[in-house]
Amino acid sequence: MEGIIGIWQRDVKKFFRDRARLFGSFTMPILFLLIFGGGMSGTMENLIGGGMEGETDFQYVQFVFPGIVAMTLLMTSVFSSLSIIEDKDFGYMKEILVSPVSRVNIAIGKMLGASTVAFLQGIMMFLLIPFLGISYDITSLLQVLPFMFLLACALSSVGLLIASFLKSTQGFQLIVQLLVMPMVFLSGALFPVSNMPSWMDIIVKINPVTYGVDVMKKVMIDVESLTPAVREAMGLNLSIFGRSITVFEEVLFMLGFTTILVLLATLSFRRSNA
Amino acid sequence: MNNIIEVSQLNKHYKDTHAVKDVNFEVKQGEIFGFLGPNGAGKSTTINMICTMLAPSSGSIDINGFNVTKQKNKVRESIGIIFQENTLDEKLTAGENLMLHCKFYKVPKEKREARIQEVLEIVDLVDNKSKKVETFSGGMKRRLEIARGLLHYPKVLFLDEPTVGLDPQTRAHIWEYILRLKRKEGITMFLTTHYLDEAEISDRIAIMDHGEIITINSPAQLKQSLGGDIIELSTKDNDQALQEINENISEADVTIQDDTIQMKVANSDDFISDFIKQLDVPITRLNIRKPTLNDVFLAFTGRTIQHEEN
Repeated sequence: MEGIIGIWQRDVKKFFRDRARLFGSFTMPILFLLIFGGGMSGTMENLIGGGMEGETDFQYVQFVFPGIVAMTLLMTSVFSSLSIIEDKDFGYMKEILVSPVSRVNIAIGKMLGASTVAFLQGIMMFLLIPFLGISYDITSLLQVLPFMFLLACALSSVGLLIASFLKSTQGFQLIVQLLVMPMVFLSGALFPVSNMPSWMDIIVKINPVTYGVDVMKKVMIDVESLTPAVREAMGLNLSIFGRSITVFEEVLFMLGFTTILVLLATLSFRRSNA
Repeated sequence: MNNIIEVSQLNKHYKDTHAVKDVNFEVKQGEIFGFLGPNGAGKSTTINMICTMLAPSSGSIDINGFNVTKQKNKVRESIGIIFQENTLDEKLTAGENLMLHCKFYKVPKEKREARIQEVLEIVDLVDNKSKKVETFSGGMKRRLEIARGLLHYPKVLFLDEPTVGLDPQTRAHIWEYILRLKRKEGITMFLTTHYLDEAEISDRIAIMDHGEIITINSPAQLKQSLGGDIIELSTKDNDQALQEINENISEADVTIQDDTIQMKVANSDDFISDFIKQLDVPITRLNIRKPTLNDVFLAFTGRTIQHEEN
Protein backbone atom coordinates (compact mmCIF):
# COMPACT_ATOMS: atom_id res chain seq x y z
CA MET A 1 0.00 0.00 0.00
CA GLU A 2 2.79 2.41 0.94
CA GLY A 3 4.45 1.48 -2.32
CA ILE A 4 1.39 2.66 -4.27
CA ILE A 5 1.32 5.93 -2.35
CA GLY A 6 5.04 6.50 -2.87
CA ILE A 7 4.90 5.93 -6.61
CA TRP A 8 1.73 8.00 -6.94
CA GLN A 9 3.06 10.92 -4.87
CA ARG A 10 6.24 11.04 -6.88
CA ASP A 11 4.43 11.51 -10.19
CA VAL A 12 2.01 14.11 -8.82
CA LYS A 13 4.81 16.03 -7.13
CA LYS A 14 6.82 16.09 -10.33
CA PHE A 15 3.80 17.30 -12.28
CA PHE A 16 3.49 20.38 -10.08
CA ARG A 17 7.21 21.12 -10.37
CA ASP A 18 7.17 20.97 -14.14
CA ARG A 19 5.49 24.28 -14.96
CA ALA A 20 6.12 24.06 -18.69
CA ARG A 21 4.25 20.78 -18.90
CA LEU A 22 1.50 22.12 -16.67
CA PHE A 23 0.65 24.87 -19.15
CA GLY A 24 1.82 23.17 -22.30
CA SER A 25 -0.74 20.43 -22.06
CA PHE A 26 -3.53 23.02 -22.10
CA THR A 27 -2.80 24.26 -25.59
CA MET A 28 -4.38 21.36 -27.49
CA PRO A 29 -7.75 21.35 -25.68
CA ILE A 30 -7.96 25.15 -25.82
CA LEU A 31 -7.26 25.00 -29.53
CA PHE A 32 -10.06 22.48 -29.94
CA LEU A 33 -12.38 24.64 -27.87
CA LEU A 34 -11.59 27.62 -30.07
CA ILE A 35 -12.15 25.68 -33.28
CA PHE A 36 -15.14 23.59 -32.30
CA GLY A 37 -16.68 25.73 -29.58
CA GLY A 38 -16.13 29.07 -31.28
CA GLY A 39 -15.44 28.90 -34.98
CA MET A 40 -17.39 25.87 -35.95
CA SER A 41 -20.25 25.99 -33.51
CA GLY A 42 -22.64 27.61 -36.03
CA THR A 43 -21.86 25.03 -38.68
CA MET A 44 -22.15 22.19 -36.21
CA GLU A 45 -25.47 23.48 -34.90
CA ASN A 46 -26.87 23.54 -38.43
CA LEU A 47 -25.35 20.18 -39.21
CA ILE A 48 -26.48 18.37 -36.11
CA GLY A 49 -29.58 20.29 -35.15
CA GLY A 50 -30.50 21.20 -38.74
CA GLY A 51 -33.31 18.69 -39.03
CA MET A 52 -35.21 20.26 -36.19
CA GLU A 53 -38.08 22.61 -36.78
CA GLY A 54 -38.78 25.93 -35.16
CA GLU A 55 -36.82 27.14 -32.20
CA THR A 56 -33.69 25.10 -31.81
CA ASP A 57 -32.42 25.24 -28.30
CA PHE A 58 -29.56 23.03 -29.34
CA GLN A 59 -26.30 24.63 -28.24
CA TYR A 60 -23.25 23.04 -29.69
CA VAL A 61 -20.90 24.54 -27.09
CA GLN A 62 -22.96 22.89 -24.39
CA PHE A 63 -22.62 19.63 -26.24
CA VAL A 64 -18.92 19.86 -26.94
CA PHE A 65 -17.58 21.15 -23.62
CA PRO A 66 -17.83 17.83 -21.72
CA GLY A 67 -16.27 16.24 -24.78
CA ILE A 68 -13.30 18.62 -24.72
CA VAL A 69 -12.82 17.95 -21.00
CA ALA A 70 -12.84 14.23 -21.76
CA MET A 71 -10.32 14.86 -24.50
CA THR A 72 -8.09 16.68 -22.01
CA LEU A 73 -8.36 13.68 -19.74
CA LEU A 74 -7.44 11.35 -22.58
CA MET A 75 -4.41 13.32 -23.72
CA THR A 76 -3.00 13.98 -20.26
CA SER A 77 -3.64 10.43 -19.04
CA VAL A 78 -1.93 8.79 -21.93
CA PHE A 79 0.96 11.22 -22.11
CA SER A 80 1.53 11.04 -18.37
CA SER A 81 2.16 7.34 -18.81
CA LEU A 82 5.19 8.42 -20.75
CA SER A 83 6.80 8.81 -17.32
CA ILE A 84 7.09 5.01 -17.21
CA ILE A 85 9.33 5.06 -20.25
CA GLU A 86 11.28 8.00 -18.87
CA ASP A 87 11.77 6.01 -15.67
CA LYS A 88 13.15 3.17 -17.76
CA ASP A 89 15.41 5.57 -19.66
CA PHE A 90 16.76 7.33 -16.60
CA GLY A 91 17.15 4.11 -14.63
CA TYR A 92 14.66 4.87 -11.88
CA MET A 93 12.48 1.95 -12.96
CA LYS A 94 15.30 -0.33 -11.79
CA GLU A 95 15.14 1.12 -8.31
CA ILE A 96 11.40 0.41 -8.29
CA LEU A 97 11.65 -3.06 -9.80
CA VAL A 98 14.31 -4.39 -7.40
CA SER A 99 12.32 -3.16 -4.41
CA PRO A 100 9.87 -5.42 -2.58
CA VAL A 101 6.88 -3.40 -3.87
CA SER A 102 4.60 -5.93 -5.53
CA ARG A 103 4.29 -5.65 -9.28
CA VAL A 104 0.55 -5.01 -9.16
CA ASN A 105 1.12 -2.11 -6.77
CA ILE A 106 3.69 -0.65 -9.13
CA ALA A 107 1.12 -0.77 -11.93
CA ILE A 108 -1.63 0.72 -9.74
CA GLY A 109 0.66 3.45 -8.41
CA LYS A 110 1.73 4.47 -11.89
CA MET A 111 -1.85 4.36 -13.16
CA LEU A 112 -3.12 6.50 -10.28
CA GLY A 113 -0.29 8.99 -10.75
CA ALA A 114 -1.20 9.56 -14.40
CA SER A 115 -4.94 9.63 -13.58
CA THR A 116 -4.50 12.23 -10.87
CA VAL A 117 -2.47 14.49 -13.12
CA ALA A 118 -5.09 14.16 -15.88
CA PHE A 119 -7.93 14.68 -13.43
CA LEU A 120 -6.41 17.91 -12.10
CA GLN A 121 -5.90 19.16 -15.61
CA GLY A 122 -9.48 18.27 -16.48
CA ILE A 123 -10.72 20.30 -13.52
CA MET A 124 -8.63 23.25 -14.64
CA MET A 125 -10.61 23.23 -17.89
CA PHE A 126 -13.60 24.32 -15.81
CA LEU A 127 -11.90 27.69 -15.50
CA LEU A 128 -12.80 28.30 -19.17
CA ILE A 129 -16.55 27.92 -18.63
CA PRO A 130 -17.24 31.65 -18.04
CA PHE A 131 -15.60 32.54 -21.36
CA LEU A 132 -17.73 30.15 -23.39
CA GLY A 133 -21.09 31.68 -22.72
CA ILE A 134 -22.43 28.59 -21.04
CA SER A 135 -23.21 27.89 -17.43
CA TYR A 136 -23.42 24.85 -15.24
CA ASP A 137 -24.59 24.70 -11.69
CA ILE A 138 -21.97 23.89 -9.10
CA THR A 139 -23.63 20.64 -8.02
CA SER A 140 -23.48 19.14 -11.49
CA LEU A 141 -19.82 20.14 -11.76
CA LEU A 142 -19.12 18.49 -8.42
CA GLN A 143 -21.11 15.42 -9.35
CA VAL A 144 -19.17 14.90 -12.53
CA LEU A 145 -15.80 14.77 -10.70
CA PRO A 146 -15.85 11.09 -9.68
CA PHE A 147 -16.77 10.09 -13.23
CA MET A 148 -13.98 12.20 -14.62
CA PHE A 149 -11.52 10.49 -12.31
CA LEU A 150 -12.81 7.07 -13.32
CA LEU A 151 -12.45 7.93 -17.00
CA ALA A 152 -8.91 9.18 -16.30
CA CYS A 153 -8.13 5.82 -14.65
CA ALA A 154 -9.43 3.88 -17.64
CA LEU A 155 -7.39 6.01 -20.04
CA SER A 156 -4.23 5.97 -17.92
CA SER A 157 -4.36 2.21 -17.88
CA VAL A 158 -4.23 2.28 -21.70
CA GLY A 159 -1.05 4.37 -21.52
CA LEU A 160 0.31 2.19 -18.73
CA LEU A 161 -0.11 -1.00 -20.71
CA ILE A 162 1.51 0.43 -23.84
CA ALA A 163 4.39 1.95 -21.85
CA SER A 164 5.01 -1.28 -19.95
CA PHE A 165 5.89 -3.03 -23.21
CA LEU A 166 7.96 -0.32 -24.82
CA LYS A 167 11.48 0.90 -24.27
CA SER A 168 11.65 4.01 -26.43
CA THR A 169 9.87 7.33 -26.17
CA GLN A 170 9.55 7.58 -29.94
CA GLY A 171 7.78 4.23 -30.21
CA PHE A 172 5.39 5.27 -27.50
CA GLN A 173 4.57 8.57 -29.13
CA LEU A 174 3.93 6.89 -32.45
CA ILE A 175 1.49 4.39 -31.00
CA VAL A 176 -0.21 7.03 -28.91
CA GLN A 177 -0.69 9.33 -31.91
CA LEU A 178 -2.27 6.47 -33.80
CA LEU A 179 -4.54 5.74 -30.86
CA VAL A 180 -5.55 9.11 -29.46
CA MET A 181 -7.21 10.70 -32.49
CA PRO A 182 -9.52 7.77 -33.31
CA MET A 183 -10.38 7.55 -29.62
CA VAL A 184 -11.45 11.21 -29.67
CA PHE A 185 -13.34 11.10 -32.94
CA LEU A 186 -15.08 7.79 -32.33
CA SER A 187 -16.38 8.64 -28.90
CA GLY A 188 -19.08 11.23 -29.35
CA ALA A 189 -16.87 13.86 -27.76
CA LEU A 190 -16.97 16.28 -30.69
CA PHE A 191 -20.01 15.10 -32.66
CA PRO A 192 -22.71 12.49 -32.14
CA VAL A 193 -21.83 8.97 -33.12
CA SER A 194 -25.37 7.67 -33.44
CA ASN A 195 -25.36 6.86 -37.14
CA MET A 196 -22.05 5.11 -37.74
CA PRO A 197 -21.41 2.18 -40.07
CA SER A 198 -21.47 -1.02 -38.05
CA TRP A 199 -17.69 -1.67 -38.01
CA MET A 200 -17.11 1.83 -36.71
CA ASP A 201 -19.90 1.37 -34.24
CA ILE A 202 -17.99 -1.57 -32.74
CA ILE A 203 -14.98 0.67 -32.12
CA VAL A 204 -17.27 3.30 -30.62
CA LYS A 205 -18.71 0.72 -28.23
CA ILE A 206 -15.37 -0.62 -26.96
CA ASN A 207 -13.87 2.85 -26.63
CA PRO A 208 -13.85 3.84 -22.93
CA VAL A 209 -14.01 7.52 -23.93
CA THR A 210 -17.51 6.90 -25.33
CA TYR A 211 -18.84 5.90 -21.94
CA GLY A 212 -16.91 8.57 -20.07
CA VAL A 213 -18.19 11.31 -22.36
CA ASP A 214 -21.71 9.95 -22.21
CA VAL A 215 -21.77 9.88 -18.40
CA MET A 216 -20.27 13.34 -18.22
CA LYS A 217 -22.91 14.73 -20.57
CA LYS A 218 -25.69 13.03 -18.67
CA VAL A 219 -24.46 14.61 -15.45
CA MET A 220 -23.52 18.05 -16.77
CA ILE A 221 -26.44 18.64 -19.11
CA ASP A 222 -29.92 18.67 -17.69
CA VAL A 223 -31.15 15.90 -19.95
CA GLU A 224 -34.77 15.94 -18.72
CA SER A 225 -35.32 19.51 -19.83
CA LEU A 226 -34.34 18.80 -23.43
CA THR A 227 -36.84 17.97 -26.12
CA PRO A 228 -36.53 14.43 -27.49
CA ALA A 229 -35.30 15.87 -30.77
CA VAL A 230 -32.44 17.73 -29.12
CA ARG A 231 -31.63 14.71 -27.02
CA GLU A 232 -31.41 12.67 -30.18
CA ALA A 233 -29.25 15.30 -31.85
CA MET A 234 -26.85 15.29 -28.91
CA GLY A 235 -26.44 11.54 -29.20
CA LEU A 236 -27.61 11.05 -25.67
CA ASN A 237 -29.43 7.84 -26.45
CA LEU A 238 -26.37 5.61 -26.42
CA SER A 239 -27.53 2.04 -26.73
CA ILE A 240 -26.09 -1.42 -27.13
CA PHE A 241 -28.09 -4.09 -28.92
CA GLY A 242 -31.01 -1.69 -29.11
CA ARG A 243 -31.16 -1.15 -25.34
CA SER A 244 -30.31 2.18 -23.74
CA ILE A 245 -27.25 1.90 -21.54
CA THR A 246 -27.39 3.19 -17.95
CA VAL A 247 -24.87 5.24 -16.02
CA PHE A 248 -24.33 2.30 -13.70
CA GLU A 249 -23.41 0.05 -16.61
CA GLU A 250 -21.08 2.64 -18.01
CA VAL A 251 -19.29 2.95 -14.68
CA LEU A 252 -19.03 -0.81 -14.51
CA PHE A 253 -17.52 -0.93 -17.98
CA MET A 254 -14.87 1.65 -17.10
CA LEU A 255 -14.01 -0.15 -13.85
CA GLY A 256 -13.69 -3.49 -15.63
CA PHE A 257 -11.68 -1.96 -18.44
CA THR A 258 -9.24 -0.38 -15.98
CA THR A 259 -8.85 -3.57 -13.95
CA ILE A 260 -8.09 -5.73 -16.96
CA LEU A 261 -5.52 -3.36 -18.39
CA VAL A 262 -3.79 -2.83 -15.05
CA LEU A 263 -3.54 -6.61 -14.61
CA LEU A 264 -2.06 -7.00 -18.09
CA ALA A 265 0.48 -4.28 -17.30
CA THR A 266 1.33 -6.12 -14.06
CA LEU A 267 2.15 -9.25 -16.04
CA SER A 268 4.35 -7.18 -18.29
CA PHE A 269 6.20 -5.70 -15.28
CA ARG A 270 6.66 -9.19 -13.87
CA ARG A 271 8.37 -10.33 -17.05
CA SER A 272 10.59 -7.32 -17.48
CA ASN A 273 14.07 -7.01 -16.11
CA ALA A 274 14.21 -3.29 -16.71
CA MET B 1 30.88 -18.12 9.57
CA ASN B 2 27.45 -18.52 8.00
CA ASN B 3 26.85 -18.33 4.29
CA ILE B 4 24.70 -15.35 3.43
CA ILE B 5 24.53 -16.24 -0.27
CA GLU B 6 24.47 -19.78 -1.57
CA VAL B 7 24.45 -20.43 -5.29
CA SER B 8 24.22 -23.99 -6.50
CA GLN B 9 24.12 -25.52 -9.95
CA LEU B 10 23.02 -22.22 -11.44
CA ASN B 11 22.35 -22.21 -15.18
CA LYS B 12 21.02 -19.68 -17.63
CA HIS B 13 20.22 -20.55 -21.22
CA TYR B 14 19.27 -18.06 -23.85
CA LYS B 15 18.01 -19.08 -27.28
CA ASP B 16 21.40 -19.98 -28.66
CA THR B 17 23.81 -19.34 -25.81
CA HIS B 18 24.53 -21.01 -22.52
CA ALA B 19 25.39 -17.86 -20.58
CA VAL B 20 25.88 -19.37 -17.13
CA LYS B 21 27.05 -22.96 -16.71
CA ASP B 22 26.65 -24.93 -13.47
CA VAL B 23 27.86 -22.13 -11.26
CA ASN B 24 28.40 -22.90 -7.55
CA PHE B 25 29.69 -20.58 -4.85
CA GLU B 26 28.98 -19.21 -1.40
CA VAL B 27 29.45 -15.78 0.09
CA LYS B 28 30.13 -15.67 3.81
CA GLN B 29 28.44 -13.27 6.17
CA GLY B 30 30.41 -10.04 6.59
CA GLU B 31 32.95 -10.56 3.83
CA ILE B 32 33.70 -8.48 0.79
CA PHE B 33 33.28 -10.78 -2.16
CA GLY B 34 34.86 -9.65 -5.41
CA PHE B 35 33.26 -10.93 -8.58
CA LEU B 36 35.47 -10.45 -11.63
CA GLY B 37 35.43 -11.47 -15.23
CA PRO B 38 35.94 -10.14 -18.74
CA ASN B 39 33.00 -8.60 -20.57
CA GLY B 40 30.57 -11.20 -21.77
CA ALA B 41 31.72 -13.73 -19.17
CA GLY B 42 28.22 -14.12 -17.73
CA LYS B 43 28.87 -11.87 -14.78
CA SER B 44 25.91 -9.54 -15.21
CA THR B 45 23.59 -12.43 -15.97
CA THR B 46 24.65 -14.11 -12.73
CA ILE B 47 24.21 -10.96 -10.67
CA ASN B 48 20.82 -10.25 -12.21
CA MET B 49 19.69 -13.73 -11.22
CA ILE B 50 20.98 -13.24 -7.68
CA CYS B 51 19.16 -9.90 -7.43
CA THR B 52 15.78 -11.38 -8.52
CA MET B 53 15.91 -9.43 -11.77
CA LEU B 54 16.20 -12.47 -14.00
CA ALA B 55 14.81 -15.99 -13.61
CA PRO B 56 17.41 -18.81 -13.63
CA SER B 57 16.96 -21.63 -16.15
CA SER B 58 17.89 -24.10 -13.44
CA GLY B 59 19.67 -24.28 -10.11
CA SER B 60 19.00 -22.44 -6.88
CA ILE B 61 20.08 -19.27 -5.12
CA ASP B 62 19.50 -18.56 -1.43
CA ILE B 63 20.13 -15.19 0.15
CA ASN B 64 19.79 -14.68 3.88
CA GLY B 65 18.00 -18.04 3.99
CA PHE B 66 15.39 -17.05 1.40
CA ASN B 67 15.01 -18.64 -2.01
CA VAL B 68 15.43 -16.19 -4.86
CA THR B 69 12.73 -17.67 -7.07
CA LYS B 70 10.19 -18.59 -4.41
CA GLN B 71 10.60 -15.76 -1.90
CA LYS B 72 11.41 -12.83 -4.17
CA ASN B 73 10.11 -10.14 -1.83
CA LYS B 74 12.00 -11.49 1.19
CA VAL B 75 15.16 -11.54 -0.89
CA ARG B 76 14.50 -8.02 -2.18
CA GLU B 77 14.15 -6.78 1.39
CA SER B 78 17.47 -8.41 2.31
CA ILE B 79 19.58 -6.80 -0.38
CA GLY B 80 20.65 -3.32 -1.38
CA ILE B 81 21.89 -2.65 -4.88
CA ILE B 82 24.13 0.13 -6.11
CA PHE B 83 23.76 -0.04 -9.87
CA GLN B 84 26.44 0.82 -12.34
CA GLU B 85 24.26 3.52 -13.86
CA ASN B 86 22.46 6.31 -12.09
CA THR B 87 19.04 5.27 -10.78
CA LEU B 88 18.22 8.36 -8.74
CA ASP B 89 15.32 10.63 -9.59
CA GLU B 90 17.20 13.79 -10.44
CA LYS B 91 14.13 16.01 -10.32
CA LEU B 92 13.65 15.20 -6.65
CA THR B 93 15.81 16.25 -3.72
CA ALA B 94 18.22 13.89 -1.97
CA GLY B 95 15.87 13.67 0.99
CA GLU B 96 12.88 12.88 -1.23
CA ASN B 97 14.79 10.13 -3.00
CA LEU B 98 15.64 8.58 0.34
CA MET B 99 12.10 8.93 1.68
CA LEU B 100 10.69 7.15 -1.37
CA HIS B 101 13.12 4.32 -0.80
CA CYS B 102 11.91 4.04 2.81
CA LYS B 103 8.36 3.69 1.52
CA PHE B 104 9.26 1.06 -1.05
CA TYR B 105 11.09 -0.98 1.59
CA LYS B 106 8.53 -0.46 4.36
CA VAL B 107 10.94 1.17 6.79
CA PRO B 108 8.77 1.90 9.88
CA LYS B 109 7.36 5.44 9.70
CA GLU B 110 8.78 6.65 13.01
CA LYS B 111 12.30 5.54 12.10
CA ARG B 112 12.49 7.12 8.65
CA GLU B 113 13.82 10.56 9.49
CA ALA B 114 16.48 9.16 11.81
CA ARG B 115 17.61 6.62 9.23
CA ILE B 116 17.82 9.20 6.48
CA GLN B 117 19.94 11.38 8.76
CA GLU B 118 22.12 8.40 9.63
CA VAL B 119 22.91 7.32 6.06
CA LEU B 120 23.46 10.90 4.94
CA GLU B 121 26.05 11.23 7.71
CA ILE B 122 27.83 8.10 6.55
CA VAL B 123 28.34 9.56 3.08
CA ASP B 124 28.80 13.19 4.22
CA LEU B 125 25.78 14.58 2.43
CA VAL B 126 23.77 15.93 5.37
CA ASP B 127 24.03 19.52 4.15
CA ASN B 128 22.72 18.58 0.72
CA LYS B 129 19.57 16.86 1.90
CA SER B 130 17.14 19.37 0.42
CA LYS B 131 18.99 20.02 -2.80
CA LYS B 132 17.80 18.55 -6.06
CA VAL B 133 19.88 15.62 -7.25
CA GLU B 134 20.37 17.19 -10.69
CA THR B 135 22.65 19.78 -9.05
CA PHE B 136 24.94 17.05 -7.64
CA SER B 137 28.34 16.06 -9.01
CA GLY B 138 28.98 12.50 -10.19
CA GLY B 139 30.68 11.59 -6.93
CA MET B 140 27.87 13.02 -4.82
CA LYS B 141 25.28 11.06 -6.78
CA ARG B 142 27.25 7.88 -6.23
CA ARG B 143 27.46 8.56 -2.51
CA LEU B 144 23.75 9.26 -2.37
CA GLU B 145 23.06 5.96 -4.10
CA ILE B 146 25.23 4.17 -1.58
CA ALA B 147 23.33 5.92 1.21
CA ARG B 148 20.05 4.90 -0.34
CA GLY B 149 21.18 1.30 -0.66
CA LEU B 150 21.79 1.24 3.09
CA LEU B 151 18.48 2.75 4.22
CA HIS B 152 16.65 -0.51 4.79
CA TYR B 153 19.63 -2.15 6.55
CA PRO B 154 20.27 -4.77 3.88
CA LYS B 155 22.15 -7.93 4.77
CA VAL B 156 24.04 -7.84 1.48
CA LEU B 157 25.04 -4.78 -0.49
CA PHE B 158 25.65 -5.30 -4.21
CA LEU B 159 28.09 -2.82 -5.68
CA ASP B 160 28.16 -3.02 -9.45
CA GLU B 161 31.15 -1.02 -10.67
CA PRO B 162 30.66 1.56 -7.90
CA THR B 163 33.44 3.86 -9.08
CA VAL B 164 33.08 3.66 -12.83
CA GLY B 165 33.35 7.02 -14.56
CA LEU B 166 34.64 8.83 -11.48
CA ASP B 167 37.94 10.67 -11.14
CA PRO B 168 40.69 9.00 -9.07
CA GLN B 169 40.21 11.25 -6.07
CA THR B 170 36.48 10.61 -5.89
CA ARG B 171 37.14 6.91 -6.39
CA ALA B 172 39.41 6.90 -3.36
CA HIS B 173 36.71 8.66 -1.35
CA ILE B 174 34.02 6.20 -2.35
CA TRP B 175 36.22 3.33 -1.20
CA GLU B 176 36.80 5.10 2.08
CA TYR B 177 33.04 5.19 2.62
CA ILE B 178 32.64 1.57 1.62
CA LEU B 179 35.37 0.40 3.98
CA ARG B 180 33.97 2.54 6.79
CA LEU B 181 30.67 0.77 6.25
CA LYS B 182 32.20 -2.64 6.43
CA ARG B 183 33.97 -1.80 9.68
CA LYS B 184 30.94 -0.17 11.29
CA GLU B 185 28.03 -2.23 10.07
CA GLY B 186 29.59 -5.52 9.11
CA ILE B 187 27.50 -5.63 5.94
CA THR B 188 28.34 -8.32 3.42
CA MET B 189 29.42 -6.78 0.14
CA PHE B 190 29.23 -8.27 -3.30
CA LEU B 191 31.47 -6.26 -5.57
CA THR B 192 32.17 -6.12 -9.27
CA THR B 193 34.77 -3.81 -10.72
CA HIS B 194 36.97 -3.35 -13.73
CA TYR B 195 39.66 -1.69 -11.65
CA LEU B 196 41.63 -4.66 -10.36
CA ASP B 197 43.58 -2.61 -7.85
CA GLU B 198 40.23 -1.85 -6.23
CA ALA B 199 39.38 -5.52 -6.03
CA GLU B 200 42.32 -5.91 -3.62
CA ILE B 201 40.07 -4.97 -0.71
CA SER B 202 38.04 -8.14 -1.24
CA ASP B 203 38.34 -10.95 1.28
CA ARG B 204 37.80 -13.40 -1.54
CA ILE B 205 37.65 -13.07 -5.29
CA ALA B 206 35.80 -15.19 -7.81
CA ILE B 207 36.86 -15.05 -11.44
CA MET B 208 34.28 -15.93 -14.03
CA ASP B 209 34.88 -16.64 -17.70
CA HIS B 210 32.84 -18.28 -20.46
CA GLY B 211 29.93 -18.72 -18.05
CA GLU B 212 31.93 -20.64 -15.48
CA ILE B 213 33.62 -19.81 -12.20
CA ILE B 214 37.30 -20.52 -12.84
CA THR B 215 38.65 -19.84 -9.39
CA ILE B 216 37.68 -18.51 -5.97
CA ASN B 217 40.34 -17.50 -3.46
CA SER B 218 41.73 -14.65 -1.42
CA PRO B 219 43.70 -12.05 -3.40
CA ALA B 220 46.91 -13.06 -1.60
CA GLN B 221 46.50 -16.72 -2.40
CA LEU B 222 45.53 -16.01 -5.98
CA LYS B 223 48.73 -14.07 -6.44
CA GLN B 224 50.74 -16.75 -4.71
CA SER B 225 49.20 -19.41 -6.92
CA LEU B 226 50.97 -17.82 -9.86
CA GLY B 227 54.19 -19.01 -8.28
CA GLY B 228 56.57 -16.48 -6.82
CA ASP B 229 57.80 -13.51 -8.73
CA ILE B 230 57.51 -11.98 -12.15
CA ILE B 231 60.57 -10.90 -14.10
CA GLU B 232 60.03 -8.57 -17.02
CA LEU B 233 62.86 -7.77 -19.40
CA SER B 234 63.56 -6.24 -22.75
CA THR B 235 66.68 -7.07 -24.77
CA LYS B 236 68.44 -5.94 -27.92
CA ASP B 237 67.03 -8.98 -29.69
CA ASN B 238 63.99 -10.52 -28.06
CA ASP B 239 63.71 -13.48 -30.44
CA GLN B 240 67.29 -14.48 -29.82
CA ALA B 241 66.80 -14.08 -26.06
CA LEU B 242 63.64 -16.13 -26.10
CA GLN B 243 65.42 -18.95 -27.88
CA GLU B 244 68.27 -18.91 -25.38
CA ILE B 245 65.89 -18.94 -22.46
CA ASN B 246 63.93 -21.85 -23.85
CA GLU B 247 67.14 -23.83 -24.45
CA ASN B 248 68.89 -23.17 -21.14
CA ILE B 249 66.35 -22.40 -18.49
CA SER B 250 63.66 -24.98 -18.02
CA GLU B 251 62.07 -23.85 -14.76
CA ALA B 252 60.73 -20.52 -16.08
CA ASP B 253 57.25 -19.97 -17.46
CA VAL B 254 57.85 -17.54 -20.33
CA THR B 255 55.49 -15.32 -22.29
CA ILE B 256 56.10 -12.35 -24.55
CA GLN B 257 53.93 -9.27 -24.77
CA ASP B 258 54.67 -6.07 -26.71
CA ASP B 259 58.49 -6.16 -26.64
CA THR B 260 58.57 -7.40 -23.07
CA ILE B 261 59.55 -10.90 -22.10
CA GLN B 262 57.78 -12.01 -18.98
CA MET B 263 58.93 -14.91 -16.80
CA LYS B 264 57.30 -16.36 -13.75
CA VAL B 265 59.75 -17.91 -11.33
CA ALA B 266 59.43 -19.39 -7.84
CA ASN B 267 62.13 -17.27 -6.24
CA SER B 268 63.72 -14.41 -8.12
CA ASP B 269 66.61 -13.92 -5.64
CA ASP B 270 68.19 -17.28 -6.44
CA PHE B 271 67.23 -17.20 -10.07
CA ILE B 272 68.28 -13.80 -11.29
CA SER B 273 72.07 -13.93 -10.84
CA ASP B 274 72.40 -17.22 -12.70
CA PHE B 275 70.01 -16.08 -15.36
CA ILE B 276 71.90 -12.93 -16.23
CA LYS B 277 75.15 -14.89 -16.61
CA GLN B 278 73.48 -17.39 -18.94
CA LEU B 279 71.97 -14.85 -21.29
CA ASP B 280 74.23 -13.63 -24.12
CA VAL B 281 71.87 -11.02 -25.59
CA PRO B 282 72.38 -7.64 -23.89
CA ILE B 283 69.51 -6.69 -21.58
CA THR B 284 68.11 -3.17 -22.05
CA ARG B 285 65.55 -3.19 -19.23
CA LEU B 286 64.93 -5.44 -16.26
CA ASN B 287 62.14 -5.40 -13.71
CA ILE B 288 61.36 -7.83 -10.90
CA ARG B 289 58.03 -7.60 -9.14
CA LYS B 290 55.45 -9.48 -7.17
CA PRO B 291 52.38 -10.59 -9.16
CA THR B 292 49.33 -8.27 -9.12
CA LEU B 293 45.70 -9.14 -9.62
CA ASN B 294 46.17 -8.11 -13.23
CA ASP B 295 48.63 -10.98 -13.63
CA VAL B 296 46.20 -13.30 -11.91
CA PHE B 297 43.42 -12.20 -14.19
CA LEU B 298 45.58 -12.61 -17.27
CA ALA B 299 46.74 -16.05 -16.18
CA PHE B 300 43.21 -17.33 -15.56
CA THR B 301 41.33 -15.78 -18.46
CA GLY B 302 44.09 -15.27 -21.01
CA ARG B 303 42.95 -11.68 -21.36
CA THR B 304 43.52 -8.39 -19.60
CA ILE B 305 40.42 -6.88 -18.07
CA GLN B 306 38.95 -4.26 -20.36
CA HIS B 307 38.23 -0.81 -19.14
CA GLU B 308 34.86 -0.32 -20.64
CA GLU B 309 32.80 2.44 -19.22
CA ASN B 310 29.51 0.89 -20.14
